[in-house]
Amino acid sequence: MIELILGFIILLVLVFVVVFVYYYNRIVVLGNRIDNAWSQIDVQLRKRADLIPNLMKTVEAYMKHEQKVLIKVTEARASLVKAKGVEERARAGNMLQDTLKSLFAVAENYPDLKANQNFMKFQEELSDIEDKIAYTRQFYNDSVLFYNNTVTTIPGLWFASFMTKKEKPYLETPAEKREVPKVEFDV
Amino acid sequence: MSMEKISFFDQIDRNRRNSWILVVSIFMVIIVFSWVIAQVYDPGFTFIFLIFGIIFSLIYTVGTYQYSDQIALRSVKAHEASGGRYRHLRNQVEGLALGSGMPVPRVYVMPSSDINAFATGKDPEHSVICVTEGALEKLSDRELEAVLGHEMTHIRNYDIRFVTLIAVMVGIVSIISEIFLRSMWFGGRSRNKGGGNAIFLVLGIVLAVLAPLIVRLVQLAISRRREYMADAGSVQLTRTTSGMISALEKIKANYELGPKTKVNAAVAPMFLADPVKKRFSNIFNTHPPIDARIETLRRM
Repeated sequence: MIELILGFIILLVLVFVVVFVYYYNRIVVLGNRIDNAWSQIDVQLRKRADLIPNLMKTVEAYMKHEQKVLIKVTEARASLVKAKGVEERARAGNMLQDTLKSLFAVAENYPDLKANQNFMKFQEELSDIEDKIAYTRQFYNDSVLFYNNTVTTIPGLWFASFMTKKEKPYLETPAEKREVPKVEFDV
Repeated sequence: MSMEKISFFDQIDRNRRNSWILVVSIFMVIIVFSWVIAQVYDPGFTFIFLIFGIIFSLIYTVGTYQYSDQIALRSVKAHEASGGRYRHLRNQVEGLALGSGMPVPRVYVMPSSDINAFATGKDPEHSVICVTEGALEKLSDRELEAVLGHEMTHIRNYDIRFVTLIAVMVGIVSIISEIFLRSMWFGGRSRNKGGGNAIFLVLGIVLAVLAPLIVRLVQLAISRRREYMADAGSVQLTRTTSGMISALEKIKANYELGPKTKVNAAVAPMFLADPVKKRFSNIFNTHPPIDARIETLRRM
């Protein structure tokens, strides 16, 4: 009888260990996926920031009277470069995108600039980066959803609270995001 | 959302399992064929025939599996999408890879005025997406993105591996039955043992005729579900149904003129839309009718 009870207890402990290891690893892996997703976003944000000084050089010659817009872009870039942490950087990235949007809108009034090969290349490249940022953000949020589903449902919830892991916030996606970067230049 | 996730994991599992089943059946078919052929010619050589069959199939299977992407790309005369002209295309593919958290596939372009695309490779790390020049010309950004998302889903779901193995299987069975049927003309005279051999002879012929047909039917039945899944995956990735719907409509309109580029039957199941013109409509289709796909997308 004693052996039976002992065997049962050992079995229970074994099952618990297996389940624990499974959930521990799962929560860690899903958490890592979010970090990885973020670094993908960051790569794109950096690429975009790197393009801007050269874009400004091209644009300045044509848009002498639009200093306000140009300064805003430069400032937004500077604050992105300085920004630290996911939320701050994401916000700075959105800011920069908005200022670029107004820059390209203003550029519509300068036919010479619009016809400039360099400018067209920048516009295309920035719009592709914008698409990629949208996709990486989407993957980030998918990863967060997966993670949150695991740490907020039973039994993942128990292990998560033991590991002091909490729900993670989603990245905000401005509603028109997917539309914005498509600066169509029909020639 | 979570339903969608579950079903694509299911699909990946199914593909992994089916891939194994397929590999095993490839070997079974080889062994059965070798045995039947041995019985027809000389049962004394059964063992040697079997050894030969197994060695041959090992070399063939491993070889074609390993180089399947190059074989497929070469058979449609595709070239790598390099240079400034295809930068946007490469960026689109990269974006979709980022969106699905997968390695970036290599991008190829094939010369054809048809609107079509396919994905191939043995796994996501060695994957290729190939689109026609016609697709680049005729599809809008959104539509092309949807098409690329469809191919991306084939890669993520491991459809590419399974379809590659199917092509290997189709190839091997057709080679064997070809050998067998041809050798009948030559072997006829030398057989003078009569009696029991006649049964095996009949069995051999039946097998030789049926096997390719069975393989083909299996292949077709399975790849239709894959197409629906890939359409759904594309929608999940691009977050809109409109791109895929209008892409399919364009393909359909372009199609009514008839596909212009001939494509080998073995690679046909890889394509976005069936590239082989056919007279029979239902069971021989590798792809569901475009109208049915559009209808399914509209209901999403």
